[in-house]
Amino acid sequence: MNGEVNLVVAHSLEAKALIEGFDLGEVEPRGEFRCYENKQCITLVISGMGVRNAANAVGWLQERQSPGFRAWLNLGIAGHPSAALGQGLLINRIEHRRSGECFWPPIPNLGLPGCGLVTVDEPETTYEQDAAFDMEAAGFFAAAAGLTATDLVCVFKIVADNRENPVNEVNLERVPELFLQQESAIRKLVDHLRGRSAAFADWYGMPAEFESLLRGYRFSATRKAALAQYCRRFRALGRQDRLRELARVRFRDAASLMTAMRLELARANESGETSRREAQ
Amino acid sequence: MFSAVYIESEVRDHPRACAILERYRDLPHIECERFGQIFNRKAQNFRMQKQYPALILARKHGRKVLSAPAGYGFEAEQSHYFSHMLNCIYDCRYCFLQGMYRSAHCVLFVNFEDFADAIRQSIVANGGGSPPPDGLLVEEVTHAGAGRQVFYSGYDCDSLALEPVSKFAEFFVPFFAKHPQATLELRTKSTQISGLLQMAPAPNCIVAMSFTTEACAKQWERDVPSIKKRLKALTRLQQAGWPVAIRFEPLLPEADQKAYASLFELVFSRLDADRLHSTSTGLFRMPADYFRNTLKLYPDEPLFARETRTENGVVSLEQPDREAWLAELEQMLFRHIDPANYYRCAN
Repeated sequence: MNGEVNLVVAHSLEAKALIEGFDLGEVEPRGEFRCYENKQCITLVISGMGVRNAANAVGWLQERQSPGFRAWLNLGIAGHPSAALGQGLLINRIEHRRSGECFWPPIPNLGLPGCGLVTVDEPETTYEQDAAFDMEAAGFFAAAAGLTATDLVCVFKIVADNRENPVNEVNLERVPELFLQQESAIRKLVDHLRGRSAAFADWYGMPAEFESLLRGYRFSATRKAALAQYCRRFRALGRQDRLRELARVRFRDAASLMTAMRLELARANESGETSRREAQ
Repeated sequence: MFSAVYIESEVRDHPRACAILERYRDLPHIECERFGQIFNRKAQNFRMQKQYPALILARKHGRKVLSAPAGYGFEAEQSHYFSHMLNCIYDCRYCFLQGMYRSAHCVLFVNFEDFADAIRQSIVANGGGSPPPDGLLVEEVTHAGAGRQVFYSGYDCDSLALEPVSKFAEFFVPFFAKHPQATLELRTKSTQISGLLQMAPAPNCIVAMSFTTEACAKQWERDVPSIKKRLKALTRLQQAGWPVAIRFEPLLPEADQKAYASLFELVFSRLDADRLHSTSTGLFRMPADYFRNTLKLYPDEPLFARETRTENGVVSLEQPDREAWLAELEQMLFRHIDPANYYRCAN
């Protein structure tokens, strides 16, 4: 499993246990946001508080990464009317209180307790809704879901305040400890998301020949799309060897290359028919 | 089977929804305003969602009975379909649903009574009249020939696969038994027949089972009961007096004629061909826009990497000798069945 996951947290205290747990090193030089990564393709960005910061951090991180299939996970502390402090919650519905927008993160079968969440602009002190409360998830989700399939975007929150322990009494120094308590749930979720992003890369990644052919010829936008489709068909039909051979031949231009590829694919279809007939 | 249950607020207290929520009490229950918020949203990946589908309980608004496409199903004066469910719990690679919907979650409309009203109105509007008076046998009315209408329930889903949860057949078979001037086709690959076996067979409710060859089933049908299990279920239904039908769909050139010959031998060695309601075949085909979507989802699927042809907005696999291949296959089929009870499905 070598899928890539981007973690987004609001505060450095939320990042602390994750940096240690995943052995993340800070990316230098520092940019607009503090960013950490490891060799297992896990990257963490500290967004700062609020919806706008969360969305900006997602956009910023995406821009500095090469194209690929990455999962996104927002981790952070949250309030809840009744859940116990330290309880981990996999968020299954996000409501942005200011805009009224709703988002529906996927629900992996991991046995993690689920919960709806309301993203607010100011810390929630009345806990009137039976939901978790945070200040980033709606911005995070809207931004991340705009970059990839929603099936690759999750939100996990850890309860740090409730009616009995209101938000103005939260001891921020305890946040790393709350994260440590949820380490196994977080790892489970990160591994799951890595699996998903790896599956996407496997399903939708282009054969290497696509890039080399793109560099070797001039393609119109239409031909580029067709080239991508042909390369995928070669792979799906198990003809990567033939694609490799074609990529080594120097054709007069992109049109000649495409004709050769088309003929080769038609031949693959016919030989498939022939082999089926011979099998009779 | 499901990862979560979404519930539209307005059906939260519907008795059918309550029973299903109780059955899935250990899953997350998430309330929504309309099912489309989850089902129709953009940027979902059907292929990934197939690995963790959710169940969505909703109310069907608007038109509940629609005209079946021309060429779909057996000959009848009027063909309709109705969809109490959107999507299927099985994962067949050749299925058009994966190109039609953005989501792989299963939507179950719980307002069966509204569907029944719409079907009743359709029967009456199309000359089917009122239900027969008490004491008149269903067969007598069925063969009276007035306003024959067929209703297909397995167009956007499998009719029986979720029966233990939905109780769909448990509701609609008795309903159609009271409306013998109409026919219900339950199209399925499921072996969930225990509910049907507990009921008296309804002569106007046909259980139509789909089959492909063994090799095709292994390669392209995931989570689907094996051919032998399906056949066993169908045999039990036939022995119990239910009208059953066979749908050899989709026919794929992948399989050679010998594979089809074996399939036909197997099927007709178990079933009484003389008592079959009908047998049909249908080539692999998919509306072009659904095919495009499916290809995007499965660019690595050999089935879709083959040469295709598009005619009248429908994509099929390129097969130079298609007609001869199909004719040969039909000749093999006619060794087992009466051609009068056979049709080719065009759509």
